[in-house]
Amino acid sequence: MMRSLWTAASGMTSQQTNVDIISNNLANINTTGYKKESAQFKSLLYQTIQDQSYDNNGNPKPSGIQVGLGVKNSAITSQYTEGTLSETGSDYDLAIDGKGFFMVQTADGGTAYTRNGSFQMAVGENGMVLATSDGNPVLDTNGQPIILDKSYNTSNIIIDESGNLCYPDANNNAKPIGIQIGVAQFNNPTGLSKAADSLLTETDASGSPLLETTGTTVGKYKIKQGFLEGSNVQAVDEMVNLIVAQRAYEMNSKIVKAADEMMQQANNLR
Amino acid sequence: MVRGLYTAYTGMANEQKRLDIISNNLANAATVGFKEDNSTSQSFDHMLTIKIRDNSEGNNNRAIGNMSMGVKLGEVYTNYGQGSLKETDNTYDMALEGNGFFNLSVTDKGGNTSTQYTRNGSFTMTKDGHIVDENGNYLMGEGGAIVVPTDAAEVVIDKNGAVYADNTYVDNIKITDFDNYDYLTKTGDTMYQALDGAVEKPSNALIQQGYTEQSNVNIISEMVEMISVTRAYEANQKIIKSVDQTLELAANSVGKV
Repeated sequence: MMRSLWTAASGMTSQQTNVDIISNNLANINTTGYKKESAQFKSLLYQTIQDQSYDNNGNPKPSGIQVGLGVKNSAITSQYTEGTLSETGSDYDLAIDGKGFFMVQTADGGTAYTRNGSFQMAVGENGMVLATSDGNPVLDTNGQPIILDKSYNTSNIIIDESGNLCYPDANNNAKPIGIQIGVAQFNNPTGLSKAADSLLTETDASGSPLLETTGTTVGKYKIKQGFLEGSNVQAVDEMVNLIVAQRAYEMNSKIVKAADEMMQQANNLR
Repeated sequence: MVRGLYTAYTGMANEQKRLDIISNNLANAATVGFKEDNSTSQSFDHMLTIKIRDNSEGNNNRAIGNMSMGVKLGEVYTNYGQGSLKETDNTYDMALEGNGFFNLSVTDKGGNTSTQYTRNGSFTMTKDGHIVDENGNYLMGEGGAIVVPTDAAEVVIDKNGAVYADNTYVDNIKITDFDNYDYLTKTGDTMYQALDGAVEKPSNALIQQGYTEQSNVNIISEMVEMISVTRAYEANQKIIKSVDQTLELAANSVGKV
C-alpha cells in the first residue's frame, strides 16, 4: 500500500516542478531573447515483487513481475528556436536572425553569451563603448570590447548584416571601420548554462564557442539593426502544458486518495 | 480456520499490487518514452473438495467439486505500443516511429559496461562529441559510440538513423528490435535490459529528429481501473467483515447454548 502512496507522491512532486517551469516561461513571455524551457521526466527504479510470472496458458515467462516506483525530473532543457523579431527603430537594438549568440564581457572578465541584443553606447575611458543595458561591454570577433573614439558620431554608425560597424565617409557612403560584432555559435546550445539577466555561459556539454574568424564552420546568420528578438514562448503551448501538468497532478492526488481510502478500509476490518 | 477469510485476504493483497502498477503508470503519464504496464490476475490452483465420513452417504467419500482458494498476480505485461510524438526542435531529440529501441552503453559503478535499450530519445552532446542521454550514457551507433565533430555547426539525422555533421556522414544510429518483448526487463530510467534468450532482430523504426515520443499511458483507462481496484478492495473487505461476524456468532452465541 505504501508503495502506491509514494509513487503517486513522486508524480505530484515532478508535476509541481513542471508547473514551476511553465510559470517561469509565462513570466518571461515578454523578455527579449528568452528561450523557453521544458521539464524532462524519467521513471524511477523497478522492484521485483514476484519472481515468477505465468502467461494466460500457465507457461512461465522469462521475467518476474516488476513494479515501478514512480517518476523523477531528469532534466530541464531549453529550446533554442528563434523568437519573433520586432522592429524597434533604435540604432543599437540588434537581433540575430539564425543561430548564434552575442558575446558579452562580464564583471569578472569572463565571457557570457546572450540573444538579448538590446545594446547602447556607454561612456568609457577611451571613448564610447557598446554595452548591454547592464553596462557589460559587447565583444567583437576578436573578443575585444567595441570602443569608438571621439572622432565618430555614434548616431551615424550603421551595422550591416555580418555585424560590421560602418561609418559614412566624405561622400556619405558607409564604409566598414574594421570592427565586427562577434557572434558565437555552439554545437550543442542546449548544454549552455543559464545565468541571470538572460546571460548564458559555456559548459562542457555545450562545446567551445565557434567563431567565423577562428576558421571553424558556422551556420549562416544575419544581424538586424533596429530589431529585437522576442521570447520564443508560445502562450498557447504553455497553457496546454499547464493543463496537462495540472491534470496529471490531480490524477496522482486521486491515487493518494484511493490508497488512503483502501488503508482506511483495512483499518476498519477490526 | 475459515477458508473464505484467507481467500478474501488474497483478493485485498492482489488489489493493492494492482494499484501499485496503476499509480506508477499515472506518475509516468508525462515521461518521455515510457510504456505502460498492465497486469492480469490468476486464480490459485483448483482444489478438489471431498466429503468424508458422512453417515448419510454410507461413510463413502464423495467428491463435491473444485474450489479455488484465492487470487494472485499472474503477469505484468508492458504495452510497447507507439506513443504520440511531440515537437521539440532540439537537434539531439529523437523519436522512434515503429518498433525498436535505441542502444545505450551503460557503465555501472563497478566499471562493467552493458548495453541497455530505451525509447527515450532526448539526448544531448558532451564536449568530446559523444551523444549521451541525461545520465551520460553513450548512444551507440553501428560502429560503436557515436562521436560527432565538436566543431560541426549543423548535425542532421535522417529517418534511417544516418548522422551527418555538416553534410559529412558520421555513423548510423543502431536500433534494435526483439522477437519477443517478454525477454526485456526494466531497469529504471525508462531503460530495458535483455534477458538470456532474447533474440534480436533488425528494426524497421524510423527516426524523427527534433521530436520526442510521449508516454503511451491511457489515463482514462487507468482512472477507470483505479475505481475498479478500490471497489474490489472494498468488496473483499466486506467479505472479511462478514466472515468475522459469522465467527463471532460461532464463538459467542453457539458456545453459549
